[in-house]
Amino acid sequence: MRSSAPRSRESSEPREHPAHAVLAPLALALLVSSASGGGDERPLDYNRDVRPILAANCFACHGFDPKTRKADLRLDRAESAYAEREGVIAIVPGKPEASELWRRITATDPDERMPPPKAQRTLSAAQQAKLRAWIEQGAGYAEHWSFIAPVRPAPPLAGLQPIDAFVRARLAEEHLQPAPPADRATLLRRVTLDLTGLPPSAAELESFVADPDPRAYERCLERLFASPHYGERMALPWLDAARYADTNGFSIDGGRQQWLWRDYVIQAFNTNKPYERFLVEQLAGDLLPERSEETQIATGFQRNAMVTHEGGTIAEENLVIYAADRVKTFGESVLGLTLGCAQCHDHKFDPLTQRDYYSLFAYFDGLSEAAHGGDGGVDAAPTLEAHSVLVTGEEDGLRARIAALEATLAAPAPERVAEWEAEQRAALAARGQGFALHPVKLLKISTPNSGDGFSILDGRFALIERPLGLAAFDVSMELPALDVPISGLRVVMHPAPEVPAAGWGWGGGSADKHSFVLTNLSLSASPVQSDQVNLNRLLAAGGVTANCWEEEQRPEGVLNTSASEGWSPELTHEGPVQLTLSFDEPLAVAAAPYLTAQLNFGRGGDLMAKRMEFFAVSGHDDDSTLPASVIVVLQTAPAARTEPQRATLAAYCSAHGAVFERTRTDLANARERLAARTDAFPVMVMDTAATPRETRILRRGNYADPLEAVTPATPALLPPPPPGAPADRLGLALWVTMPEHPLTARVAVNRFWQMLFGRGLVATLADFGTQGEWPSHPELLDWLAVEFVASGWDVRALLRTMLLSETYRQSSATTAEALARDPDNRLLARGPRFRLPAEFIRDAALKTSGLLVEQLGGPSVLPYLPGDPWREISHYGSTPATAQSFIQDHGEKLYRRSLYTFWKRTLPPPNLALFDAPNREVCTLERGSTNTPLQALVLLNDVQFVEAARAFAERILQRPGSDATRLAWAFTEVTSRAPAPAEAALLQRALVRGRAHFAAAPEAAARVLASGESPRDESLPVVEHAAWSQVAALLLNLSEALTRN
Amino acid sequence: MDPGNDYRQELTRRALLGRGTLGLGRIALGTLLGSTLPSAQSAASAADGRSALPHFAPKAKRVLCLFQSGGLSHVDLFDHKERLADFAGQELPASVKGTQRVTGMTSGQAQFLVVPPIAGGRRCGQSGRWISDLLPHLQGVADELCVIKSLHTEAINHDPAITFMNTGNMLPGYASMGSWVSYGLGSENQDLPAFLVLVSQGSGKNPGQPIFSRLWGSGFLPASHQGVALRPGSNPVPYLADPPGIERGERRALLDDLASLNELSAARTGDPETRARIQAYEMAFRMQTSVPELTDTSAESAATLARYGPEVQKPGSYAANCLLARRLLERGVRFVQLFHRGWDQHIALTRQLPNQCRDVDQPTAAVLRDLRERGLLDDTLVVFATEFGRTVYSQGGLGDPSSGRDHHGRCFTVWLAGGGVRAGIEHGATDDFCYNVAADPVHLRDLHATILSCLGIDHARFTYRFRGLDAKLTGVEEARVVQEILL
Repeated sequence: MRSSAPRSRESSEPREHPAHAVLAPLALALLVSSASGGGDERPLDYNRDVRPILAANCFACHGFDPKTRKADLRLDRAESAYAEREGVIAIVPGKPEASELWRRITATDPDERMPPPKAQRTLSAAQQAKLRAWIEQGAGYAEHWSFIAPVRPAPPLAGLQPIDAFVRARLAEEHLQPAPPADRATLLRRVTLDLTGLPPSAAELESFVADPDPRAYERCLERLFASPHYGERMALPWLDAARYADTNGFSIDGGRQQWLWRDYVIQAFNTNKPYERFLVEQLAGDLLPERSEETQIATGFQRNAMVTHEGGTIAEENLVIYAADRVKTFGESVLGLTLGCAQCHDHKFDPLTQRDYYSLFAYFDGLSEAAHGGDGGVDAAPTLEAHSVLVTGEEDGLRARIAALEATLAAPAPERVAEWEAEQRAALAARGQGFALHPVKLLKISTPNSGDGFSILDGRFALIERPLGLAAFDVSMELPALDVPISGLRVVMHPAPEVPAAGWGWGGGSADKHSFVLTNLSLSASPVQSDQVNLNRLLAAGGVTANCWEEEQRPEGVLNTSASEGWSPELTHEGPVQLTLSFDEPLAVAAAPYLTAQLNFGRGGDLMAKRMEFFAVSGHDDDSTLPASVIVVLQTAPAARTEPQRATLAAYCSAHGAVFERTRTDLANARERLAARTDAFPVMVMDTAATPRETRILRRGNYADPLEAVTPATPALLPPPPPGAPADRLGLALWVTMPEHPLTARVAVNRFWQMLFGRGLVATLADFGTQGEWPSHPELLDWLAVEFVASGWDVRALLRTMLLSETYRQSSATTAEALARDPDNRLLARGPRFRLPAEFIRDAALKTSGLLVEQLGGPSVLPYLPGDPWREISHYGSTPATAQSFIQDHGEKLYRRSLYTFWKRTLPPPNLALFDAPNREVCTLERGSTNTPLQALVLLNDVQFVEAARAFAERILQRPGSDATRLAWAFTEVTSRAPAPAEAALLQRALVRGRAHFAAAPEAAARVLASGESPRDESLPVVEHAAWSQVAALLLNLSEALTRN
Repeated sequence: MDPGNDYRQELTRRALLGRGTLGLGRIALGTLLGSTLPSAQSAASAADGRSALPHFAPKAKRVLCLFQSGGLSHVDLFDHKERLADFAGQELPASVKGTQRVTGMTSGQAQFLVVPPIAGGRRCGQSGRWISDLLPHLQGVADELCVIKSLHTEAINHDPAITFMNTGNMLPGYASMGSWVSYGLGSENQDLPAFLVLVSQGSGKNPGQPIFSRLWGSGFLPASHQGVALRPGSNPVPYLADPPGIERGERRALLDDLASLNELSAARTGDPETRARIQAYEMAFRMQTSVPELTDTSAESAATLARYGPEVQKPGSYAANCLLARRLLERGVRFVQLFHRGWDQHIALTRQLPNQCRDVDQPTAAVLRDLRERGLLDDTLVVFATEFGRTVYSQGGLGDPSSGRDHHGRCFTVWLAGGGVRAGIEHGATDDFCYNVAADPVHLRDLHATILSCLGIDHARFTYRFRGLDAKLTGVEEARVVQEILL
């Protein structure tokens, strides 16, 4: 093993890098910056030591912004600070006693004292001392470090990988030793999680640990880089930065389709697209001479922003908000600058004017977007219909799978048809038994968007007197005093002469008979009258029938909130039409005599019923969900059926029977999956309007107070664009990717560093300005940035360099003393350790359990949520917008990687949000890492994790061997290490206890195993499976399962 | 009993000292539930803007915010003008209307005709406060109220306005009031989150304007300070209920094993997060008992239930949520916020507004009385707020049953009660048309500063370092504590 003793810089540097033997004094000063606040004998550096004090306490009145400047004094500029004003000089270099600044910051008279008391800022004694020492040392000023292009510094120690050289030189300054290397198992877990977001399997671990090849680690890196999961993992932080989501965000927060952009990001990382190209395409892919579908999809980056479809919105106000968000996102994610301050006034801390701000704003202001957009699930313009750029090679497999599933449904297995038929015959036999209708008393009808046009007639009919647009109606009613329980509710729609062709409802205005689509019927019961359906107490109603329906609009469509499914009566039907809901649990009238029904005519614009009557039902419903043609067959003795009759039955069972529901789901999912690979889909993109808006400086950022016009230009504080760069987004892209740009590469390598080490070399990822944190290793940052550019912005090469360093590979084990010395590990004297991001935690559970569906890219999916929390906060029933109610997916979509989970910004999935996933409303670069009881509840009780434990137990039980062997394997699958004897013993005891418990309570065991929709291996004994599922849950909840050591 | 405990406490205390404010690997024991563990208090260092909290003696220890979502009509309910009826049906004078902007929903109207309050009202109590007859129960507690009639905001549409009122900024990305208070003061109850949220649907308009989790989100503050939305039913807190088939004894046994395994792991790695996680699981276990206990109101007396009105029997109603709020406040929850939807009366004002009022009138009065009787009102600040008011002029034709009032941010009414504020007074005034502030304007930032002040917090010194700024609830503009209304 290589000695970990740091070598001295003096001895190694000249020999190793003669060209860089003489470092700039500034850089030398940077090298010794202190994270621990220890001894301070080193010379003061203006940027590191002095400027932050001045910036936080003085610049607001004596800085860059002329509007707030007092006494015409600038302390951010030497010439102003050194100048004489009426016999007074703020700073006399070398002479604190002659400096007005020193006198004022130490004055005791509140009228003299600086900062003045009303500023609510005070300088500590240490800060005063620092300013005094700085003046004594000559009060030197310097440009802010990050605004000067990095020059490749020479690594300070010879014989070491450059990263290690920089880190160890710094450790030596602090008299610290690096940690020993992490053991191979820990290292494999670390790097596998870092590069794929998934833990290694026990088998991968075994082979890596046993691999005698000295280049095993290097080979492992290449294997991980080649994994398609690499792109998924790398995409995740960029999705945060780019505020990617599946809804529009503001106000009604309707759904959008933007996943083609996510596919682009995954593909970009999987093909190792140079970072410079990655930026150019996303900023200006529509303006490139070689523009393609791919480069245009890339511009979705700046369309991921939120949009509104709130009614009263003032267009100009929102257009400003949209462009400002693009400036913010560009600034924070690409430039590493927080520019927002300059939207309202010249920046107080960074030399950035309001003119600079709006000149940057002008780049993002010229597209053909409207202020209102995105309603009804239609992406806000401008959009593109395009194909996914992902190459997954799964099309042939999907076609084969689709053919197989279609074959299953085309020739349904006779025994399953028989199973279904038995159920149907039983239902038919019970049909109408004890059936009675009981008139109810209607009390009130209401709808959100109209004050009239609806009424109650004689307590019997609910009338909709004219077409009222897309809307839900709430009808409250009182049940008759009955001593039989209520089994359901029937709604009867009567033909009305006033509506076209004596239809049941209001229609589109032609002479043809029209019908409506009832997209949802929700009910709640209450001891008191309720005008509105109680979303918190919806009656479970699994049964629904009607006396007629259109083939594609069956009665069961009213049971879910989807607008695409709903009941529509058959157009040729004469007389009243009716729909009957049957409750899962009969209702006792005495306990809840009031019922409220919400009827949503959520499709077809004006089409809605006209005259509705309601009845309470007792006994068995006398209608059926089966069409008459099928009932006839069922009532014919099997032996007497004709061949066409048998075929009718089989076809109906295939199409509608519950026994084939899973097959139908699988088929629909496979078809959607194939379409996602082969068809065109909309994506929101950038363009240039035929007449781009004129961008003006806005006084105090107020859209209604425009000042002079500006044209696109880059900020004056940074180097100018390359010659010939156009004054549009393409020019901006060329500017930001210039090799000599001082920020872009530094900001990027810092973000990648954070991904691997838990915090950036500059901890404030979005702020490399003067208010940002000082880099912990300035030279290392510059070295990486220069190397990155020199490599052709090769992300993989950059990561490889970091991953091959001993700094990355050291152990994260630590002591209380080391923690206290450097709690944030800024000095990197140990390996990085952090809790896994939200998505990794869920993904790891899915992978370990064997449930993970490893499909790459595609539309977002809707796995389990508790209930429908969306509807409780949304505009459901009052808008054509999508994503107003939660409709869970089924089948494979429940087990996709979490970056594909549908992201509703106003209510992100709680099992991810509770683990610090951001809501994606704004650019996010740093996630928190909290540790809360609510997280424990997710891992213990969320059906996703409960099901994962159950499935993991199946995997364990499918392995041969003793309890001990199985336990060791399972522990390794989760934690990537073998259990210690004490741990193994504990697990064994837990298993034994579980067996005893469930043997005594086999019913509980069966319930434990019923969680989740994935089928269980029924060959496994229930008690044994349940006992193991609890061991599996225990393992999935281990702190180490959530941690990357 | 637990040799790891002292070590854990010591480690955490030291690890938390002198920290910055953001970043990974943060040791979060002190913020498990925003709780005021000793370690969390010592953790409040100068760097994170929580030094020396409270800054001065607090008058209130906790807050109940009754948020009326959609824009409550100050014109109809609180801001009475004797002469307004004289102008009924007349064009709003141009001198009053001015050039200020109105929303896209009425900016195209040809006429802006004055509509007086749809119902009568009366001066109530010793204070003589005018309150609409649509709020008869609230009339009965008029002397508890401290009414601010001159609140104003720049926002005139729901999303920016409600975001502004709840986070201090019209744009997303900022921390909500409750999360700030959780961050600053933590919880007094180790088994419950410091900030809880209860949502109810309005009877006037259903659905009401959408609301968003950002209104109770933590923005840039650590996620442990986000409000936890309590929902009625078996899972009031997400994922609270044990999975089917798992009994408490089994769960306890699993947690004991988990703690033992985690302790072994922590001993190997020296990871303080693991030790904190052991405590988090214990808190989760306790919450599984404490939350159902607090949401179970079956032990409340018949008299108490009757006080909240018949709707208290409907889970998730505003009335039920008011009762729940009282139970939460009794248990030391720092910030309880109700959101009642449905106040957006653009249309059918005469039909919708009485229903909205009925939803909130009796329960609001009841919770004030209940808190008063239990001695809690003295140190609980109650804030009855909304995102903006409504126009004095009609949206839609005069007398049309579908007409209503548009949004109005130029002036509107909120009221406070309880800890720290003067009861029975009013502050600020509007002009004769409830259209412009005539005296003592109070910006919503000033309201935020005042709420913090009641809690012993100087808003200007209560900061969180984010994106190069010392972010504050009150934002970058000046804010003023409304001293005139404080005790």
